[in-house]
Amino acid sequence: MGGIPLRVRRKVWFRQFLLQGCWNYEGMQNVGFAYSILPALRDRYGGRPEELSRALKRHLEFFNTHPAMAAVILGAVIRLEERVAAGEEDPRAVGTFKVGLMGSLGAIGDSYFWGALKPMASVAGAILAFVHPLLGIATLLLLYNSSHLVLRFRGYTAGIGGEEGAVRFLKSAGFTARTEDRKMIAAILGGAYAGVVGSHAALLFGGAWLELGVFLVAALTVHLFTVFFRKAVSPSEVLLLLLLIGTLILWQ
Amino acid sequence: MVGSFLLAAALGGVCYLDRTAAFQMMLHRPLVVASIMGAIFGNFAAGAQVGAVLELLYIARLPVGASVPPDDTGAAVFGGAAAAAASSSIGLDMGSFASILLLSVPCAEFGKYADRFVRRINGRIAHLTVEQVERGDTLAVEHALMAGAILFAVFGMALTLLFSGLGISAARFLLPRFGPESHLQFAALLPALPLLGAASVFSCSRTDRTAPVFYLTMGCVFAVTFFFRWVA
Repeated sequence: MGGIPLRVRRKVWFRQFLLQGCWNYEGMQNVGFAYSILPALRDRYGGRPEELSRALKRHLEFFNTHPAMAAVILGAVIRLEERVAAGEEDPRAVGTFKVGLMGSLGAIGDSYFWGALKPMASVAGAILAFVHPLLGIATLLLLYNSSHLVLRFRGYTAGIGGEEGAVRFLKSAGFTARTEDRKMIAAILGGAYAGVVGSHAALLFGGAWLELGVFLVAALTVHLFTVFFRKAVSPSEVLLLLLLIGTLILWQ
Repeated sequence: MVGSFLLAAALGGVCYLDRTAAFQMMLHRPLVVASIMGAIFGNFAAGAQVGAVLELLYIARLPVGASVPPDDTGAAVFGGAAAAAASSSIGLDMGSFASILLLSVPCAEFGKYADRFVRRINGRIAHLTVEQVERGDTLAVEHALMAGAILFAVFGMALTLLFSGLGISAARFLLPRFGPESHLQFAALLPALPLLGAASVFSCSRTDRTAPVFYLTMGCVFAVTFFFRWVA
């Protein structure tokens, strides 16, 4: 039996965008993973319905990782399932491989995509939206997706190359350096955003010293909010407090 | 108006799908959603103005593991629709701007609970799927995924209708009741909101290297603005 045909690999690639389609608290992305890999399993176990059911059930066990990083695991698991179907690998290796990788890839993905790339794209978009809204939206979508889609695709193709390919991809992608760089850019843009807001508030007051004072209050406010976040106070709680203050203003 | 609400619901459904169930291409971000809602209800720029501030407010809350962050998409639906309805030919006044941002907070919290509810229903679907696959029905996985995704989309459409309706109502009936003095007092709260957004970005990107850079950039931007203002 030959390798997985290109047509089937493409199907799996498109299906992985629906990985979280049936996200639930018990199995998390389990149904999404089984749905994504199903065309590859059908290709391998065509004409063997009982083995197909058994293989599918393997993928309905708990699975959770960062959705963009799941492509690496998906690619590598397709290769692994190929070997299982050919009788060259123990079926339990599939579960072991998934469990071994999903936690660490989830942490890498959360740190890079949610913790660095998204804030960087968001703050760049928010700043440029003041120039023109369309420019802001385009910047946000381009900055995020240019990295997100490329890494998803590279991860998937590397995974298809087998476990070694997946490991090589993780080494060569340089997630640690990428995360640090994006965080630095986000900090610079965030500082510029806060500076613009602080300057705008300061300009409402006359006199150099008063403007400087208002700006320092703005810087202290940002610092205070950051300290709140570190003490596990969420932005929602701060916003609800501000809403309460607003309601009290109206009550008067 | 009915046509606008239907269009908002359709686009809102797509944005909500992007939030969890499909793609994750940032179509659900407040800047995008509030601008779309602003365009549908008559003022694209006012929607984008609110979206740009909302964009950063919840950025520090990450959808990690089983935690569900506040529904910033819902807050943006409310904010975009309300901003479009509340703005006049000269734009959105600062009091209304601050009020809309603060009134969107309960929408974000409500949306979070609706999201959790959908995920619990999906749990039932997933459980049934495992049983059906054990009986040899492999198509059950495809049906389950479609059911889950449709559920996310339908809830997204319903939430969009609810929040856009609330936004339009708040702009038409609630905000005009505030006197000019209340508007001024609300406007005083406005600078705190973008600063909260900046603090959210800072707390996401905070490392030993980035902390001084953040404050240094903030100071430089102020110094440059200050310099040009006094030169002029």
